[in-house]
Amino acid sequence: MAEDIVISGSGLRKQFNENVIAVEDANFTIPRGSFISLVGPSGCGKSTLLRLISGLIEKSEGDLLVRSNEVVGPRSDIGMMFQKAVLLDWRTSIENVLLPDEIRGTIDTDAKKRAWDHLQLVGLKDFEFSFPRQLSGGMQQRVALARLLQTGADIMLLDEPFGALDEFTRERLNDELLRIVEGPDITTLFVTHNIQEAIYLADQVFVMTPRPGRIAAQIKIDLPTPRNIDMTTTPEFNNYVQQVRDVLSGHLDGQPL
Amino acid sequence: MSDIGSDGVLAGVKELSPVQKTLAHGLVFLVLFGGWELGSRMGYVNELIMPAPTSIAYRLYEMFFVTGSIYWHYIITMYEATMGFIIGVSIGMGLAITAAISPVFRRYWAPYAVVFNVTPGIAVTPFIIAWFGFGWSSKIALAALVCFFPPFINTLTGLLNIDKDATELFRSLGSTKKQYFQKCQIPSALPIIIAGLKLAMTGALIGTIVAQFFSASEGVGILMQRFAFRLNMDGSFAALIVMSLMGLSLFTLMEYMDYKVLYWRRHSRMEEVSAKRKKQWLKQNGDMSQA
Repeated sequence: MAEDIVISGSGLRKQFNENVIAVEDANFTIPRGSFISLVGPSGCGKSTLLRLISGLIEKSEGDLLVRSNEVVGPRSDIGMMFQKAVLLDWRTSIENVLLPDEIRGTIDTDAKKRAWDHLQLVGLKDFEFSFPRQLSGGMQQRVALARLLQTGADIMLLDEPFGALDEFTRERLNDELLRIVEGPDITTLFVTHNIQEAIYLADQVFVMTPRPGRIAAQIKIDLPTPRNIDMTTTPEFNNYVQQVRDVLSGHLDGQPL
Repeated sequence: MSDIGSDGVLAGVKELSPVQKTLAHGLVFLVLFGGWELGSRMGYVNELIMPAPTSIAYRLYEMFFVTGSIYWHYIITMYEATMGFIIGVSIGMGLAITAAISPVFRRYWAPYAVVFNVTPGIAVTPFIIAWFGFGWSSKIALAALVCFFPPFINTLTGLLNIDKDATELFRSLGSTKKQYFQKCQIPSALPIIIAGLKLAMTGALIGTIVAQFFSASEGVGILMQRFAFRLNMDGSFAALIVMSLMGLSLFTLMEYMDYKVLYWRRHSRMEEVSAKRKKQWLKQNGDMSQA
């Protein structure tokens, strides 16, 4: 049975200038419906890899295919979310969520209904008409998530989406994210520098190491789904944590801080 | 010890009840102007240097309610300043938008705007009079010249300093340049643009009055000068107060615009607008939770 591959890279390389190789020789395949975590220290090229896939920046060498097509620019089946919510301050939650439809000229009653439902789905009932500055950081990220869902993209690229939030809010939002993207349709790439978070969320963890940015290991996570916070204390889970640590420390030993 | 502490400029000032505050303000006012008045009456202050507040007040009363001589000057000055403001702001913002859209224009033409700015606009007055004559147009031209720069530089700065993530968001959504400009750049830049407009408003009034000092047959500036040349100091001071009134009314107008346009910068306004948008939405789409 051939797996349905949505994203694949081979020999992928991105060089910013003479000295900075952000991504070097990246080889990977990402099956449809999977959840991949990209974990690694700052500057290891995880955000760059995400931006290459999104089409926001151009690769220097190698192949990068999304649905068997070379990536040449942003595409409508790929949606992004950032560490900052990036909401437009002058728009209410629902107006922010409707931005993708406004830009594509697809705004109609149906789109409005979907925007409304997405806000309910991310737990923002009664905050549909609040402005971003009236919302907490966690709620702002929820609006951003609703906006991502509104794009209808089934490939979601998340760049440390809850990294700026407190631990409790982050855990809750991670669980809600899992609930939303589960199933065979949505493929998720999740960038983080938190090893536990990476393992907890993913079917597969790409461990990245810096200078030059490489995917040093691809670890399959065989933990039962749906995930549950109690799993984080099991020996299996800690095994995975140790594996990731070993890859990172094996590489980082002897490197300047 | 210090009044300027962690609690702000007024730290250390005891909180008074509203009545007490009004009384305190009244007292300060009374000491200030009562002292001045008394000094004048008793001959300590020369009337030719500082006329008594009551003589200035009387002169104002006369200008506005007895002869009505001030209105024409007032209207003319406001007209010249406003026209100058509109022209200066249009040129400034137009150039800024062009520079924001076109990197080539920005590189090769915008530096002249900066050189232009460091040249004191007021010093150009003689040329402006020579080119535009003694009538309204020279006042409008100088006002436009003096107020052109703040809207230019603020608009340009605002349009170019967009959050990098917001730009990426718009790109990833497949936005056109026009959509990005309308939905992201302009609204993001509005606060700093409006700050520029406030500066321009004051500049336009200064430009108008300086041009009137140089040569004019009508306007509050020339009125003040005529009084001063005749050593009519209370008239002169009255004209100065009229100028303050003009400045104040224009400033209030700008503050009002700020309040109306930049609703997302004030909590009370956000609540107001949020309620309004909700009502609009419900009217248009009904309650979607019910469907």
